[in-house]
Amino acid sequence: MGHEGVRMFPSTSLSLGAEARSTPLDDLENVVAMYQPRVFRFLLATLRDRDAAETLTQETFLRAWSARASFREDCSLATWLIRIALNLARDHTRTGRFRFWKRVSASAVDVADMAAFVPTREGSAEAQLIAQQQVAGIWESVAKLTSRQRSIFLLRFMEEMEIPEIATVTGLPLGTVKSHLYRALAVVRAQHNTHGATPRNPTPRSAARRDATTKETQ
Amino acid sequence: MTPQLRTQPGLADSAPGESHLTGEQFGELMAGTTEAAGGELALAEAHLLVCEQCAAELASLREAICVFREASNAYADEELRRRPRWILPERRSTSRSLMPAYWVAAAAMFLTALFPLQVLRRHNVAPAPAVATSNADRSAQSDEALLEDVNSEISATVPTPMQALADPSDDETAANSETSVPTSNQRKD
Repeated sequence: MGHEGVRMFPSTSLSLGAEARSTPLDDLENVVAMYQPRVFRFLLATLRDRDAAETLTQETFLRAWSARASFREDCSLATWLIRIALNLARDHTRTGRFRFWKRVSASAVDVADMAAFVPTREGSAEAQLIAQQQVAGIWESVAKLTSRQRSIFLLRFMEEMEIPEIATVTGLPLGTVKSHLYRALAVVRAQHNTHGATPRNPTPRSAARRDATTKETQ
Repeated sequence: MTPQLRTQPGLADSAPGESHLTGEQFGELMAGTTEAAGGELALAEAHLLVCEQCAAELASLREAICVFREASNAYADEELRRRPRWILPERRSTSRSLMPAYWVAAAAMFLTALFPLQVLRRHNVAPAPAVATSNADRSAQSDEALLEDVNSEISATVPTPMQALADPSDDETAANSETSVPTSNQRKD
């Protein structure tokens, strides 16, 4: 059961743009309920700090609400919100204060905590342990990426956004997005291979996925 | 130009001259960029069918990233569940419809607060002048007494400090003033 405490959403936003045209953000309660987990997940993986992720999630919705008149619906609301979140995260990580608190913060994400959330599938305890090591390995390698590579990697593989959508969020050309993504993948792949995670005998699940991929291409 | 597979230096187990997926091809397969050059992607996928090493590596990395996504999503969802909820502002339509009610409630509260003050003021009307009158009388009397004293002092022919000393030979006076005027007795001695 979660905390029963409540946190006040800034009420100053109520008076902003009261006469503006109708937008999807008018129903803020539903928008938050629908997109808050996604925005929080992205910010948590980007910032690796629970408190900062929560603060910026709240800030994302406040900014979106304030600027809702400028939402032209030329992209999806999710894309628009993630773009705001990405800009906030970028501004946040630029400050020296963030770098200091990142070192000493008690709310920093511990990879061991995250690895404990590895989904339990059928398999041995050894397989579970390997999966946890894989999570830790990916987490470490993502930390080594530049901020832009990391954002693009997370948008592709965590948010499962398509490349054109990532280009919209980041404001980068498609080619640049791909270039950053391939570099990020090279780093992650190298780390993955260094830890000896490449199986000599592919797991049944991996083999099944490969077969499926092969069939799709054929 | 015909797309070709090149020797992949990242693979330690690859035999000399053996070709494997390049970093870009690997990235394209991982990222699932459908708009990649058709020939290049087809060649890479064809390679996967014959090269177990590349296929295993690709599958392993996909699996790891998939597990990473699921774990981090589950962790974030759990973390969000633990966090206190936000209180969102009311919807605009609701707040507008309730606006007159707020004003009426505020006015009622104001009047309720004002009523006891009025009652208290009414109760205090009668005694207040009495107190004021008695205070005024008292001060007037004291003023008059003071003025009388001043008048008597002024009208006196000889001011008190300059009046003649009492006769020291008078017993009663001496007895009375022995302690009060010792200097004069000492002079007599």
